[in-house]
Amino acid sequence: MTTPTISKSAYKTPWISPRTRQWLGNSFTYLGMTILALLFMIPIIWMFSTSLKARWEIFVWPPQWFPETLHWENYVEAFTRYPMGRFMLNSGFLVIINIIGEFISVPLIAYGFARLRFPGKNIFFVVMLGTMMIPGHVKLIPLFSIYHKLGLLDTYWPLILPAFFGNPFFIFLMAQYMRTIPRDLDEAARMDGAGTWTILYRIILPLCKPPLTIILVYTFWWTWNEFLHPLIYLNTFDSFPVQLGLAFFKGRYSVEWNLFMAATLVSIIPVLILYFFLQKHLIGGIASVGLKG
Amino acid sequence: MNKKNGSILFLLLSMVLIASLALGACSAPAAEEPVAEEPAAEEPAAEEPAEEVEVVTIEWWTVASEEYTDQVQLDMAKAFEAEHPNIKVNVTILPESGFSEKMNTALGAGEGAPDIAFFWDSNWFPEALDLTPYIEADADFDPSMYVEGFWKTRALWNDTIVGLPLGVGAQFVMYNKDVFDEMGVAYPSDDWTTDDYLDLVVQLTDPEIKRWGGDRPRRPYRALWFNYGPNARLYSDDSTTVDGYLNSPESVAGYTWAWDLVNSGSTPTPADMEVLGTEGTGPIDLFMAGRLAMATLNQGHMLNAVEAGINFGVVPEPGVAGNERFVNAWSLTSSVWKGSEHPQEAWTFLSWWVGPEGQRYLMENGNLFPSIPSVLAEYKDADAEYAQAFFKVLELTQVSEWRNPHPCNSTLLRAVGDVWDKIMLGEIGRDEIQAELDAMVPSAQDALDECVPRLGG
Amino acid sequence: MSTKWRDLSPKERREAVDGYLSISPWFIGFLLFTLGPVLATIYFSLTEWTLTRPPVWIGLENYVRMFTRDPLFLQALKVTGNFVLLSVPLKLVFGLGLALLLNLKLKGMNFYRTVFYIPAVISGVAVSLMWIWLLQPDTGVVNTLLELVGIEGPNWFWDPDWALPSVALMSVWSVGGSAIIYLAGLQNIPPHLYEAANIDGAGKWTSFWKITLPLLTPTLFFQLIVEMIESFKVFTQAFVITKGGPLKATYFYLYYFYEEAFQNFNMGYASALALVLVVIIMTATIILNYTSKHWVYYESDAGRA
Repeated sequence: MTTPTISKSAYKTPWISPRTRQWLGNSFTYLGMTILALLFMIPIIWMFSTSLKARWEIFVWPPQWFPETLHWENYVEAFTRYPMGRFMLNSGFLVIINIIGEFISVPLIAYGFARLRFPGKNIFFVVMLGTMMIPGHVKLIPLFSIYHKLGLLDTYWPLILPAFFGNPFFIFLMAQYMRTIPRDLDEAARMDGAGTWTILYRIILPLCKPPLTIILVYTFWWTWNEFLHPLIYLNTFDSFPVQLGLAFFKGRYSVEWNLFMAATLVSIIPVLILYFFLQKHLIGGIASVGLKG
Repeated sequence: MNKKNGSILFLLLSMVLIASLALGACSAPAAEEPVAEEPAAEEPAAEEPAEEVEVVTIEWWTVASEEYTDQVQLDMAKAFEAEHPNIKVNVTILPESGFSEKMNTALGAGEGAPDIAFFWDSNWFPEALDLTPYIEADADFDPSMYVEGFWKTRALWNDTIVGLPLGVGAQFVMYNKDVFDEMGVAYPSDDWTTDDYLDLVVQLTDPEIKRWGGDRPRRPYRALWFNYGPNARLYSDDSTTVDGYLNSPESVAGYTWAWDLVNSGSTPTPADMEVLGTEGTGPIDLFMAGRLAMATLNQGHMLNAVEAGINFGVVPEPGVAGNERFVNAWSLTSSVWKGSEHPQEAWTFLSWWVGPEGQRYLMENGNLFPSIPSVLAEYKDADAEYAQAFFKVLELTQVSEWRNPHPCNSTLLRAVGDVWDKIMLGEIGRDEIQAELDAMVPSAQDALDECVPRLGG
Repeated sequence: MSTKWRDLSPKERREAVDGYLSISPWFIGFLLFTLGPVLATIYFSLTEWTLTRPPVWIGLENYVRMFTRDPLFLQALKVTGNFVLLSVPLKLVFGLGLALLLNLKLKGMNFYRTVFYIPAVISGVAVSLMWIWLLQPDTGVVNTLLELVGIEGPNWFWDPDWALPSVALMSVWSVGGSAIIYLAGLQNIPPHLYEAANIDGAGKWTSFWKITLPLLTPTLFFQLIVEMIESFKVFTQAFVITKGGPLKATYFYLYYFYEEAFQNFNMGYASALALVLVVIIMTATIILNYTSKHWVYYESDAGRA
């Protein structure tokens, strides 16, 4: 602890005991974090306040942070005007299937790219990265044709099938993570006669909890926020996911901002709850010491 | 073989199991449709038990909007099916903001498009079925029932009939009478001018309470420019020339008016207008909050104000003394897709939906103003001051007569967008407008020459 | 790695077969759902296609126009290039910084991690609307706060000089998403290294530079590539907030593509634009990949050497 740092000098005087110093340092960290968190929260607070206003109250001057009457009924209205509950369930279903798909495909594919040697691997990898670079809108019309010819329009297939072939973003992520796992592990297993797949599923994958958690969190988040693909592929109102539902609050000539904000806020709650409970898998794992000390 | 690894394998296996189960359930939304079909199919069976009718299903894509909500349209389709037992209408309700995207994809793919839909973009017209033979064969259908201007601009295209015009809409100025009374200013009249507008805007502004006298155009839109004279437009009527139109004295007069408006400091800046989004809602939200004394709005906003009990009046957009007055009015082309396998049934539904029955249904149960004058006359508040004022605005010459033959309009607007931005930002002087427009002519001409051979004149 | 099949030993061949098997799901998906659309796009880029009329073959004309007489293409390229150079370093630094902060072992950290994740989960349009409101010059929160410390805030999205930085600021605000990926990377650093460094008397900064950063390079490399691709593909902000303005200061490449494809109905030209973008990003990726040999540290390669 001899390296001087700027932040320490303030409380490094000898008469403060290490315990107090620790306590002070934590307090400063908490203070800083709280201020930063508040800055990050301002827009959310504003969304919340907007969601409790009457429709034409939103733009009055001076702006009101706390509406005089709290219009909680906006939340009821937002969920009865359109079947938002049904839309959220649909999204939830899509999320689960997509997560399963990515969990089956991504570790397998990433393992091949990260730890197996075969001719042409680099070219395949670059091509895979290349598919991430194609703007989504370009593929829309040809993909629509393909799914129409397969008779899969107005089903969930176009929204879940791709997950079972692996999302390049996740494959890249997983491969990068697998590359950081020491080679000795699988060399040793190979000596013991373990085959390729045994090594993947018994040795490598159990060490990959953090990237698997990321895949879970990101898949949830992306699938939940997907607008364009459901719009293009689905026709049946009752099968729409949550983002299509939110779009209904934007009319032709005006937007019911209060209802839109109420519905948006409720719609992000599942994503946040999931993240809140999953983060321990992100943070846990093999290392429990970060930068401290 | 330790315990942990075994459990991972088990986890994977169970995931595969769940996946296969869930995938089986995936076809659920599609499978629900036939179930929903049953009650509809039963009704005709009860009426005509002797005759076995073959039911034809047609696809209809529409949007939920202020004028017709999802429920109103579903009910309307049921009412149609009750009258036409041999046709089942499969309704797809879409959000307004996604409709064009979905239509572009399906029409671009050339497959999977619906039998009936809005063809509100004139670039979709080549994919619309020519309705001429169906109209000729249908003795009950009389095209002259529609507002003539809309029939010319929204139904006729290159000697074919590409659709029927649903509903009417128009832009006009709404003014807040309470603000006028409070400031002791006389209401605007139907024959007011752009100079009057400038005067009023300044008088009605109160910076203390962040209230502006009136809004400003967001881009050089047509009704106002047309009011400045026949050459105040982006390019010539034969779509060949920019020089002498974009930079004509009339155009310069129009841009100069916008410059004066911006520099009066009495209109909200683009930042103020878009304080809550760019969905085109700025003026109505500010108007309803009492922060805009006058705003350029439309009939949908007018109904908002009626519902909220605002004390307001309606006048056409300001004109230019001595010139003819125009209105920016619209109607939505509704068409049968060329690739439809049941064009006759599709026509039956289209002519019912956009005909007197359907438009009356949407007027009485929704907020539609029909494009059929005889039906529009039945409007429940036809005698109200606002409705009368709106009907008067509709009688003006429509600038949209210029729109469909000129699909390159929006391309040209982009080409000259920089001049507009500079005026809005206050970056050029009043006497520089002519030079700026002159400087834009070559690149605008290039854009026109590129666009016209592709999209037509 | 670039050896030929016939040079492989039987054992190596077995490994290669396993390799092909393991990547086969991706490859099948690629053949089914990517290759076709890409070939179609290449074909469309050689045509004039308005979506609703049949495509007309015009050879390389779209590319000739793009590279010889299209000022908008150059503008879009310039704006997008500037945005990549501005936002990628910002996002890398702030993402890592936030991750280090969130990696502290303090009580209640779960709550803070969730708070910083919120901005990332709100979808594109709602986020854009919030930022319009936050950065509103007269009444927005940001300028109000700046005023308190005596700074007159700029016009943000509505000023040609500030529009691009405003969009970059927006993307920094949602680094909560990428911080997750750094967090995962941080967990993979063996704790004994820090303990050893501690015994050697190394301070926090030394540990960071000598241990954390080198061992995090695979994650950094991943983030660099991904953020670069994402920045080249920036679209929603221009589409929802700025419409490419003012004075085309945010005329992003994909916004231009979108206008050409779906507003100007010039799908042939738009396809050519998209392919050129892919080539540009690909070139940048290959260059970065080449340099990565000098700065990215892989445990698995070390074990092999």
